[in-house]
Amino acid sequence: MKTRVEMALAQNIPPFKIIQSMREGLSKAGRKYEEGEYFLSELIMSGIMAQELSKMLKPYIQSSRNQFLGKVIIGTVKGDLHDIGKNLVSTMLSSAGFEIIDLGVDVSTEKFIGAVEKENPDIVAMSCLLTIAMDEMKGTIDVLKQTGLEKKVKVLVGGRPITLDFAREIGADGYGSDAIEAVSAAMDALRK
Amino acid sequence: MNKKERVMTTLDHVEPDLVPMTEMSIDTPHLETITQTRLTGETSLQTQVSADRTAEMNKVATIVLAYRKLGFELIPCDLSAPDGWSSQKNPDGTMTDEWGRVLSYDSKCRAWVPTDSIFAMPEDFERFPFPDPYATGRTFAIEEMKKNIGDEMALAAFIRDPFAHAWEMFKITNFIRWLYEKPNFIRRVIERIADFNMAMIEQAADAKVDLIISGGDYSEKRGPLVPVRFFKDVVLPNLRRQVEAAHKAALKFIKHSDGNLNPILDDLANIVDGLHSLDPTAGMNIGDVKLRYGDRLVLMGNVTVDNLCRKMKEEIVEETKECLRQAAPGGGYILSSSNSWYTDAKLENCLAMVHAGRKYGAYPMELQALSKL
Repeated sequence: MKTRVEMALAQNIPPFKIIQSMREGLSKAGRKYEEGEYFLSELIMSGIMAQELSKMLKPYIQSSRNQFLGKVIIGTVKGDLHDIGKNLVSTMLSSAGFEIIDLGVDVSTEKFIGAVEKENPDIVAMSCLLTIAMDEMKGTIDVLKQTGLEKKVKVLVGGRPITLDFAREIGADGYGSDAIEAVSAAMDALRK
Repeated sequence: MNKKERVMTTLDHVEPDLVPMTEMSIDTPHLETITQTRLTGETSLQTQVSADRTAEMNKVATIVLAYRKLGFELIPCDLSAPDGWSSQKNPDGTMTDEWGRVLSYDSKCRAWVPTDSIFAMPEDFERFPFPDPYATGRTFAIEEMKKNIGDEMALAAFIRDPFAHAWEMFKITNFIRWLYEKPNFIRRVIERIADFNMAMIEQAADAKVDLIISGGDYSEKRGPLVPVRFFKDVVLPNLRRQVEAAHKAALKFIKHSDGNLNPILDDLANIVDGLHSLDPTAGMNIGDVKLRYGDRLVLMGNVTVDNLCRKMKEEIVEETKECLRQAAPGGGYILSSSNSWYTDAKLENCLAMVHAGRKYGAYPMELQALSKL
């Protein structure tokens, strides 16, 4: 991959075009996974390669917010330490062109709110695996509403026990049943 | 027929008097509620976190008491850490286990769960002191449990599948990267863990267990985590080696995995003696599996764990009846949830599953009584 990128740059192909091709490739990998042609490992490996390619091209692209589709704060909610799903969503969003601020696992409402105030993101994405941690999502959305921050960000939720009905019930702006849907939900959220 | 005979008859695909029941594990808060006791010491569902034998004896006694109270016929038991071992406590509050997994404490489940890894690159594994399967004390809990239960229940040694063990050790993103970049390295790691497991199966047999259960997932909801060809080339041949080690010791071997196993089900049916958990949320249909492989595979499952968290008792009873209706006729069926009793499962639902299992799980099956109509 490194050689191919170097060759493309040597041929004066603009870096943004290389990134665009990468995103198209990643989107294709996502479709193949959805259709059952790709296994999860192939989807994750596509994401890993896309991240590396982005790193390689970083020096060639002027650092500005405009290079990203939007900024996402992501984390597994308080009381839950599971991160495989969250990391996959993070990788896919990053590869799709979002800037990611990953708060990790066991993230409290206070930490989400603090990060929203500091980073001014477009999207807050919350993940959980445990049913007992689901209420934390509602708690964070409630505080976003109370503080008026809700008007500035869109909230996405996901994770094994999360359903579309639950997402609607707690007032989330979007929901993804897996990493591919999470990217679509993030794109939709930006358009709202 | 006593409880152990019920399980052993089931493993031979003969109808016992009642459908045997078990759970692969029960989270600490539920164990304490069921037994009205307090568990001391540290615990993890995925690994060993302590060699404190007093705490381990307390844990074994609590699990035995819980399984007795529930009337379960089969009791799984983890391996132990070797004598004198202690985990590495890290400044950030995490700990590192014998396998290089970095664990964080889950205060709700009151258990340590893997969240990180000491392996940043494959070379780290070359410098890693690989655990010695013959270190003394690895069957401490199994021997303690055997002392507690004698021949009252069937005792299963719970081992960790090499494929799952490897991706947990390295974290899944590193595992996948190295799988594509250094496939022979991943192959070697899986072979080495399989060697470890074969030694453990031999020792567990010496400690008089009745069967082996291998934990660790092969699949997610859409299908196997990695391409089927990797399963056929690496994972399944190593699974076969472990099953052969179990068979050599006259032990049956049940493989657990969440997720959709359908693309590798034919292969699995030719290797293992039984399957758990037949994850309904990933499209595994216990009736279909029974129809296709019921003469070869003992089925263990599959009351949906998510339903134990969310649904009403009455719905759990109906789901349990449906599992019995589809999987119990002809024997070869052990009733359990589709994973384990998580902290967030409603205990009343878990108990409803057990009561329904007893009420409707008598042979010969009265299928009419089990019908929804």
